[in-house]
Amino acid sequence: MKLRPFLILLAVMVLLAIPWLVSSSMLNAAIQMLIAALFAMAFSLLCGQAGMLSFGHAAYFGLGAFATVHAMNAFNGEGLLPTPLLPLAGAAVGLVSGVVAGYFSTKRTGVYFAMITLALAELLHALAPHLKGTFGGEAGISSFRMPAWGFGFGTAIEVYYLTLFWVLLAIGLLYLLMLTPLGRLALGLRENQRRLRFLGYNVHALGTLIFAISAMFSGLAGALQSLNIEAANYAELETHVSTVVLLNSFIGGVRVFLGPAIGAALMTFFGHVTSDVTRVWLLYQGIIFVLVMMFLPRGIVGELVERFSGKRPAGEGIRLSEMLPRLAGIAVAALGGVVLIELLQRVMSRDYRALAAGGQWPEITMMGLSWQPGSPLTWLVPLSALALGLALVLGVNRRAAARREATA
Amino acid sequence: MDQIFFALLNGTIYGLLLFMVSAGLTLIFGMMGVLNFAHASFYMLGAYFAYTLQPLTGFWPAIVLSPLLVAAIGVVIERYALRRVHHFGHAHELLVTFGIAVVIAELVKLFYGNYPVEYRVPTELSFAAFTLSGIDYPFYRLFMGAVAVAMFAAIYLLLTRTRVGIVVRSAIYRPAMAEALGHNVPLVFMGVFGIGAALAGLAGAVAGAFYTTNPNMALDLAVLVFVVVVVGGLGSLGGAMLASLLIGITNSLAVGVNFSLGDIFGIVGLGEWAGSVGGVMTMRLSSFAATLPFFLMLLGFWCVRRA
Amino acid sequence: MSDPILRLEGVHKSFGPAHIIRGVDLEVRRGERHAVIGPNGAGKSTLFHLCSGEFAPSSGRILLDGQEIGGMKPAEVNCRGLARSFQITNIFPGISVFENLRLAVMRKHGLQFTFWRRVSRLDNVTQEVEGLIERLRLGHRAHTLASQLSYSEQRSLEIGMTLASDPKVILLDEPMAGMSQEETEYTVGLIREIAEDRTLLIVEHDMSVVFSLADRISVLVYGEMIATGTPKEIRENPQVKEAYLGEEVAA
Repeated sequence: MKLRPFLILLAVMVLLAIPWLVSSSMLNAAIQMLIAALFAMAFSLLCGQAGMLSFGHAAYFGLGAFATVHAMNAFNGEGLLPTPLLPLAGAAVGLVSGVVAGYFSTKRTGVYFAMITLALAELLHALAPHLKGTFGGEAGISSFRMPAWGFGFGTAIEVYYLTLFWVLLAIGLLYLLMLTPLGRLALGLRENQRRLRFLGYNVHALGTLIFAISAMFSGLAGALQSLNIEAANYAELETHVSTVVLLNSFIGGVRVFLGPAIGAALMTFFGHVTSDVTRVWLLYQGIIFVLVMMFLPRGIVGELVERFSGKRPAGEGIRLSEMLPRLAGIAVAALGGVVLIELLQRVMSRDYRALAAGGQWPEITMMGLSWQPGSPLTWLVPLSALALGLALVLGVNRRAAARREATA
Repeated sequence: MDQIFFALLNGTIYGLLLFMVSAGLTLIFGMMGVLNFAHASFYMLGAYFAYTLQPLTGFWPAIVLSPLLVAAIGVVIERYALRRVHHFGHAHELLVTFGIAVVIAELVKLFYGNYPVEYRVPTELSFAAFTLSGIDYPFYRLFMGAVAVAMFAAIYLLLTRTRVGIVVRSAIYRPAMAEALGHNVPLVFMGVFGIGAALAGLAGAVAGAFYTTNPNMALDLAVLVFVVVVVGGLGSLGGAMLASLLIGITNSLAVGVNFSLGDIFGIVGLGEWAGSVGGVMTMRLSSFAATLPFFLMLLGFWCVRRA
Repeated sequence: MSDPILRLEGVHKSFGPAHIIRGVDLEVRRGERHAVIGPNGAGKSTLFHLCSGEFAPSSGRILLDGQEIGGMKPAEVNCRGLARSFQITNIFPGISVFENLRLAVMRKHGLQFTFWRRVSRLDNVTQEVEGLIERLRLGHRAHTLASQLSYSEQRSLEIGMTLASDPKVILLDEPMAGMSQEETEYTVGLIREIAEDRTLLIVEHDMSVVFSLADRISVLVYGEMIATGTPKEIRENPQVKEAYLGEEVAA
């Protein structure tokens, strides 16, 4: 395990070098990725380490975001909270709201806990438009980053470094937290609350505290978001935000430490890259999530860690002769599926339907090719790619299962 | 007085619809311990399928066919997704159904756009059933209520009078025992999942024409349906029925009532102060209607905890 | 030595119309190994649940070292020096044996909400956990997930976690349930060892274990204590014979 410090150092150096490596649009994406990564880490402290599933983390993210915008307007980036320290406002509000929400929701466990978090977040979301003073109504609240400490904070590069600093600090703190008695007890909460009770622990207080810490870091992520876009909008309280952080975290794997961060960064990255190409990124994300939950229950990063850490019993290692055709099958099926979805999306769009209303099926340009929606071949080719890929994967799996049975 | 009568009637019918959606969910929860997040999505799918089929087949075949399609989808989800993750535990199952709900919502947006569609009550059914103090009461509301009542009677008879019903009830009570007695419990689960989905689909097909049919209808309803299932007592059909009516009526009364907290303070002479505080104080109660399900949900969890 | 460390006075417990515990008086003396036996459904487990805070008694008093603990929460009872094991193994399955015991040990050191100290630097905790693992003979399994232990190893871990908070009184609920002869013998040795300077209250169905291990035995039948005494007295008590033991013990 001497490798780990070097890997971390390397990763931090790459993150520090990013502004010189990528375009300004990508730099903006990098900021978004960092924020999403932090949010996912905060979410997973609760859902992965402590095993309490929250469907309402948008509330704490959003409250952190609004608190920061209000703080920006109140302090003008000076005095008590100069611009670099503004995220503290978001973290503080996240913490306080987390204590209140956590106190109520951790009274129940399991599915009931999940439903209470959902109800609390939706309640806030439904109330927010009525509280114009706090949430700014439809338009939201905007503000400006003020110069402080000799930095202008006018460019994306400065915002990137500010975000990077806070995100690394927060992830570092979350890592240290896992090494403390409280962090260990979070695992106990996940594994067996009843036993913890009979060992003399105050389970409700522990749950509330973990919830509050999770909400605090979510608020911090919201704060960074506000600093980045210089505004906070009521949309940040939407179900969508809770959904995306949940999908991201579980796709990465909530029980391995950096899993959620990597999952969130990757998903945000793909969302950004494909935003010009597709309007249905959330659909892909949902499909990936369902597939991951069904076939890689530890999440992508979790599964990789498991496979390469040598914890698997002998004979269950990776076989190239199986892995390669499996990957090929997945790739073919994915290509077919993506083409289908994209074609459908274009054909079903309002503009196209208006065009096609006259009984004509004009051609579509997509991925540098032109497609004839009127011709059956256009649909048959991606469909057969999808079917072929799936058949390949199923075939390999069946053979692998047969082999395992034969050796057992 | 008539206002209250209308509100009560509307609430009752809305409650009956809620029950149609909740019935399947509560049975599934009772039997498998799965809180199916995608259940309200079945309601939405029912509405969209009926909307799509209506121009091709006419209204009546559409509201028969679309629940069947929804049932097929439900069976596929149970057989190929839920059963696969069953051994990972209930939280995992909840997550998978959550993912499926997201995918269904996104697919609906893909096919039909992110706006309400023009799914209307057919003209032959849109007439006034009766008129009270100058207000027409739409026949279609009564029709929806009748469908729900018929469904309740059908499920009740199915559960109490048939062999399948006995197996289902025993599977709710003790799945392992029912299986040991030689009943095919997985098949029963799949069947109940399909029927539950079909009921939700039927509710969607019927109600979608009257209320709105849009891609957010699933989430809006999901919360209410969860409240019903929790307040009604897990796995209890009668409880679900009562809870549905209670919530339907509360909801419909709240929309009709129009005061603010400030008005209440006004009664005790603090009106001016409340006005100066603004914010929550001056909000009309009816504008809180959207928040009501969530209040009910929290209240529901609170009461159940006490019990 | 004669003052009771755990005393139950007229304890009743009913669930709705079901009257499970019907006025139990019991004195467990400091330092003794006391067994509770009785037929199935006599209320032995309920009695344990009452003492450990899982349920509150409907009436009556439960005194630990002279202090009322009836109706307290499990965590409070534990902090006053009474720990219990469970009939159905109740451990933290997804973390290692070492972590399991560390969670059990930490509480005693006042570590609960501590987020400013690294757990690996708490030398006294680590030493104590290592000592416990040694005692439980789980040394070679320290870093195995608890869920991957064999059944009897899990039972040992269960006892070890009960012991970890260094309680004055230990309640063991059928520690031998489902064990082989060999495993039982080993566990009896372990229990003797851990009960050395503590008070032990044990529910067990294996009569040979009960009669060899216990200093005194109480017999619970349908929610009432029909007798308390030394193994010899219990063996000869006609009422006990009639109600429960029958020929098994007389033979």
